[in-house]
Amino acid sequence: MAAACLLIGSTPGLSLAEIPYRLENVLLASLVGAALGSAGAVYQAILRNPLADPYLLGVSSGASLLAFAWRLPFAAVLSTSLLVAAGQQAFSFGGALISVGIALLMATRRGRIEPITLLLVGVIINAINGAIFLLLYALFPQLAAGSGSALNFLIGGIQTNLTHGQEWLAAALVGAGWIVMMYLSGQLNAASLSEAEAQAMGVQIHRVRWIALIVASIITAAAVAISGPIGFIGLICPHLVRLVVGSDQRRLIPAATAFGAALLACADAITRLLSRQDLINTVLPVGVLTALLGGPFFLYLLWRSRRPTA
Amino acid sequence: MELLVAQHVGFAYGQTPVLRDVNLVLRAGEVVALLGPNGSGKSTLIRSLLGQLPAQGSIAWDGKPIAKWSRRQLARQVAYMPQSPAWEPEQTVSDVLRLGRTPYLGAFGIESSRDLSVISEVADLLKLSDLLDRRLDTLSGGQRQRVILGRCLAQEPRAMLLDEPGTHLDLRHQVDLGNLLRSFARNRNLGVLMASHELNLAGQLADRLILLSQGAVVADGPPEQVLKPELLSSVYELPMRQISQDGQVYVMPVIDHVTTDSRPSA
Repeated sequence: MAAACLLIGSTPGLSLAEIPYRLENVLLASLVGAALGSAGAVYQAILRNPLADPYLLGVSSGASLLAFAWRLPFAAVLSTSLLVAAGQQAFSFGGALISVGIALLMATRRGRIEPITLLLVGVIINAINGAIFLLLYALFPQLAAGSGSALNFLIGGIQTNLTHGQEWLAAALVGAGWIVMMYLSGQLNAASLSEAEAQAMGVQIHRVRWIALIVASIITAAAVAISGPIGFIGLICPHLVRLVVGSDQRRLIPAATAFGAALLACADAITRLLSRQDLINTVLPVGVLTALLGGPFFLYLLWRSRRPTA
Repeated sequence: MELLVAQHVGFAYGQTPVLRDVNLVLRAGEVVALLGPNGSGKSTLIRSLLGQLPAQGSIAWDGKPIAKWSRRQLARQVAYMPQSPAWEPEQTVSDVLRLGRTPYLGAFGIESSRDLSVISEVADLLKLSDLLDRRLDTLSGGQRQRVILGRCLAQEPRAMLLDEPGTHLDLRHQVDLGNLLRSFARNRNLGVLMASHELNLAGQLADRLILLSQGAVVADGPPEQVLKPELLSSVYELPMRQISQDGQVYVMPVIDHVTTDSRPSA
């Protein structure tokens, strides 16, 4: 799969000099896809909701908001002094974590996360982030106009302005988080039970919920920081692999990881191919492709879940 | 042998007392039915005994106070089946049975050969071996109940607490379930405590009945001692009468048709 993606580049033919560049693209797309796929599986397990995705708690809207805010005049002062090396990526990572942090705090009662409240709070935080974003957009239209990378970030696509340090940092966060999620995978299965049943099964369900949500949010934030909000990977990958490997998290998480990586690497390669063929006169952000594929699938799931089961 | 000893257990939701000074013993190899009207505290008592509610008084499993048990250790000692167990349509029978091994799983959820052999033994015992790959949404209610029971047995517990396990079952399946629980008690030396609304079934299947009323134990003993019309009438606020046949006592409500027929229809 990766090899096939390597062959699809932005220029015709394949020269040796291009391989490192293409390899970097494929690896980054795989990293983001793996992060979103595995985080999506964990979110769906903890929230006990098949329509949950990694952006539900405001990771993407928070990241987009601060990525845009980074371009505001006052932020430029900060970024030159403090965050010159990290820049937009650090801002979007921070924005994602702030949003999730607020969502988790709001949905917590006496140290316990209530999944239903968390879903509601997440929706509202996304709406607020979106509203602030539109407000800033209206107040500072010059920041959005013409700046290619800002728009690119918002639509979703592997960023082109990344440093190697940022790439390694994101990879390390995703890798470490993934190991924690796999470590918990046996206990995550008990998250499908009621609280009383999970506790009677020996699982400290409130602790597992906290750890799993925080870790999944961190790896999602790391992915969003280097790719912008790429839609639907985190929603559809867990569902598709569940049809094949079943709902046991010990198999589901690795399968969703692999499938997410493969899917995004392919989607990324296809968008590069489309731009190369001059089918469209600009680089097509990969987020467009995944949203176009994922949107109808999402509707199908919704339609199917509303039918009475046999 | 006493698996569970609870003394002076009390619990309140806010200012409302739900359990008052409950004393209860569960021994290995016996089936005990917990009776009482809705709201008499049966579910709250069961969850208190599992250490899931901050109850007053002392609760000891195997002689050790509940606070000293880790969740994982306690899950190897006692299994719990709620009134409406949670299940996902896409889970298979095998998935659910394996969930029962959660208290034994190592890091990364790796199963040992012992886990797998316990699962296949439980599947054989409950006649689930041919259903292992079936999705739960393709099973009947009675089959699903057996699967959840299998999940509890896979915990290899010494005691089982069940909260109205017969609620969604027809009469035959209720009897089957009761007989299964009796056989677990007799053959595996399991202590079984189950909340129930079926006075007569409980009277036939359980060794001992405990009657709760407004959070307090009002009777604890063999069925013929507890299934007394005067006692049940006051607890259920309903005239009751007793019928004896072949050494077994049965109770039923006395329904006054003159009064009910003269009421305006709802």
